Amino acid sequence: MTEDKESQSKEDDIRIGVYVCHCGLNIAGSVDCAEVAKFAGTLPHVVLAQDNRYTCSDQGQAGIKNDIKEHRLNRVVVASCSPRLHEPTFRKACEEAGLNKYLFEMANIREHCSWVHLYDKEAGTEKAKDLVRMAAAKAALLEPAVEVEVPIIRKALVIGGGVAGIQAALDLADTGYRVFLVEKEPSIGGMMARIDKTFPTMDCSICILAPKMSDAGHHPNVELLTNSEVSEVKGYIGNFRVKVLKKPRYVLKDCSACGECVKVCPVVAPNEFDVGLAIRHAIYTPFAQAVPSTYVIDMNLCLNKDGVIVCDKCIKACERQAVKFEMKPEVAELEVGTIIVATGADVFDPSGLPHYGYGKYPNVITSLEFERLINAGGPSGGHLLRPSDKQIPKRVGFVQCVGSRSDKSGRLYCSNVCCMNTIKDSLLIKEHWPDTEIYVFYVDIRAYGKGFEDLYNRARKAGVVFVRGLPAQIVEDRKTHNVWLIGENTLQKEVYRINVDMAVLSIGLEARKDSEVIQRLLTLSRDQDGFFLEAHPKLRPVDAATGGVFFAGCAESPKDIKDSVTQASAAAARAGILMAKGKVTVEAITPITFAEKCTACGLCVKVCPYNAIILNKDLKRVEIVEAACGGCGTCAAECNFGALTQNHFTDAQITAQIDAVTEHDADRKIVAFCCNWCSYAGADFAGVSRMQYPPNVRIIRTMCSGRVAPKFVERAFARGAGAVLVTGCHLGDCHYINANYQTQKRVERLWKKMEQGGLNKERLQLLWASAAEGERFASKIREMKPMVESVKPEEIGKAKKFFEKALGGS
Amino acid sequence: MPERIRHAPLDKDKVRLVEAEIHLLKDECKGCSYCIEFCPRKVLEESEEINARGVHPPKIVDESKCMMCGFCTDVCPDFAIFVVEKKGKGGS
Repeated sequence: MTEDKESQSKEDDIRIGVYVCHCGLNIAGSVDCAEVAKFAGTLPHVVLAQDNRYTCSDQGQAGIKNDIKEHRLNRVVVASCSPRLHEPTFRKACEEAGLNKYLFEMANIREHCSWVHLYDKEAGTEKAKDLVRMAAAKAALLEPAVEVEVPIIRKALVIGGGVAGIQAALDLADTGYRVFLVEKEPSIGGMMARIDKTFPTMDCSICILAPKMSDAGHHPNVELLTNSEVSEVKGYIGNFRVKVLKKPRYVLKDCSACGECVKVCPVVAPNEFDVGLAIRHAIYTPFAQAVPSTYVIDMNLCLNKDGVIVCDKCIKACERQAVKFEMKPEVAELEVGTIIVATGADVFDPSGLPHYGYGKYPNVITSLEFERLINAGGPSGGHLLRPSDKQIPKRVGFVQCVGSRSDKSGRLYCSNVCCMNTIKDSLLIKEHWPDTEIYVFYVDIRAYGKGFEDLYNRARKAGVVFVRGLPAQIVEDRKTHNVWLIGENTLQKEVYRINVDMAVLSIGLEARKDSEVIQRLLTLSRDQDGFFLEAHPKLRPVDAATGGVFFAGCAESPKDIKDSVTQASAAAARAGILMAKGKVTVEAITPITFAEKCTACGLCVKVCPYNAIILNKDLKRVEIVEAACGGCGTCAAECNFGALTQNHFTDAQITAQIDAVTEHDADRKIVAFCCNWCSYAGADFAGVSRMQYPPNVRIIRTMCSGRVAPKFVERAFARGAGAVLVTGCHLGDCHYINANYQTQKRVERLWKKMEQGGLNKERLQLLWASAAEGERFASKIREMKPMVESVKPEEIGKAKKFFEKALGGS
Repeated sequence: MPERIRHAPLDKDKVRLVEAEIHLLKDECKGCSYCIEFCPRKVLEESEEINARGVHPPKIVDESKCMMCGFCTDVCPDFAIFVVEKKGKGGS
């Protein structure tokens, strides 16, 4: 298994060790690992090549460490899974053996090879060899690097004041860190404050939340910013500069919440907190337990909205003179080290499903409206009244999976909470009005958590009738306003037609409609359902891919209160780890300048998304501000004079990878450039999901698509590549603010060039794919396959000549 | 809160909204149109008719929109407008 070429490489200093991992059968199932290792042994500079079952295991790592010492390895290549998963593991192992971690390189032969070519071992093995060849070629050119340490500001920002945000803020504050808790609404509390009881214990929701809200409001380490929105985030892990827009309340903190102002306010509107089921005035507090308890004026409604005080009734009524119409919006500038995103979720709007008649029939309500109706603090004082005649309904039907698990609504996922919520609601009705007939129409009842099954059984014992099969239609009886639920009972294979006084649509959760704002501000990714994407679904479930940013609660996926609180504490702990250390090392992927080649043209200064390059006109060169640099490499791609390159992604290293791909059968291959954050992760996702695509693609990883210099594409064509695919994050979603706009410009320029040269510009493709769009990546490769196959040798030759000339000329 | 509101408030009958009766002394008006400009509910607009002072006095567009803030009375230089609560309505 081991092949040592000790004698052969005495003349050169570079000594590479290659480890090909079987990953059990994950790789070995569709790649002949022993053969790949044998092949690796024949590559230049490789002095040691072996295959083993689990390279990431303790033994595997110990083996590498041992070999570094014993065989004097000074470069290590591991061919296994995605570097997004285990690069840190192996880098650490190298470091422990005294090898600089930047001398390590990975070949992704699992997500990008074995898992996507499950049924073609021969092609899979060939591809794996190519990937190892590329990694070894790059490894030979790797340079050791020292990481810069930056201090971490020991303050945290929590975005969203629901139960998750409150818990995260309290945990951090109790640990001793200063926390800014930003909430869009006038009060913290979020969705949990609107719910009546919680499952499975039937605790009163606001009774257990209100003390926490109060704690957050009074904690010396927590600064509450309600009625506020994050408007700008700059900086990087440990050193974020955040701007928060504080909308005016028009009421000072002196407010004693006596409510005298409300009595005189002439304007009314539906209270959003009660889903419009109760009335509020222009000056109001959303609910009795609101924190802060200071009232707020809705300026869209107030008679003084045009800036002239025409109505002063509340001013006169206020004993403490707390009403102040002169308040203006303010911008708070915060400096924080970590950010926790706890922005929560929206509920599904069932008006888009006409067969259920929501919005048309008064007695069809949503589960959220039900919560307000059954709540003692709600508009009906806890009497479940049906909207049409305000009578207590005697027959109630619950319809499950409204806006969940359905093609029709466009929400394919399970919303996690609705089954148990309905069971809890049905028991609540039974508790107050035991004679009520209750029907639950379901697809599956998912009672998966601790104590859930018990509650389900209690509901069945209490006489709640569970009918499998959602109604196909809800029809109203015009006289009585009762509704008929018509559908098929799929257990008994018969049609049901059930008349109820009121139907409750158990609506699902969906990503916030304005998630995009936070996504852009923090350069996050979202999954196909619109929720924020975690760095790793199993091992880093609360970390965002952006350093120093963490998730809590429904922002990441639909979850119940317990899970939200658990995740909030986890996020607080993760953020706390960073802040406790007080410093973080920044990856050494900043640009390197060669002053002697620089002409001070200033192009790199213009494309830098971070303004991290300063043009020094006197000395005729540029200077890099390393701490501000994000590490995208766009500057290096822009430089026409070779005066800039990027650490760890140097021109020479990437060119070596291109040359390795195109060493043989280049005309049948696609050279793909993928950015670390979106498209590379998307390709990983395709692997994890076992989406099969043709094995003719070879992926080169850069941090950003902005690093892809035109000369790389030209090089690939000059070497006879069949096609080149440049991929990156969707425009506007770039992890490096806007660097991918440069990618677009460059590719468009190349297309133009190819057209002018009479070349088939289809051979160069551009794809935007997010980290969740594995299928998008896979189908692009499938789509390109016939095109690559149809490229004629003459075309290859023509492109070769054309680009050789272009490269030679520059 | 982003939910769309699809049901009427249950307590909408309990809130007694003010019902205003607007009185215009048309011939006192000199047509400055302050009342029209400053009304937060846009209850008034300029009329076609010509009064004793030879100007267009305001006319009432929709009395039910009036919230009785009384600002028109406050700004009128000629004491030509005042608002009272409608008699015989509500009462509680």
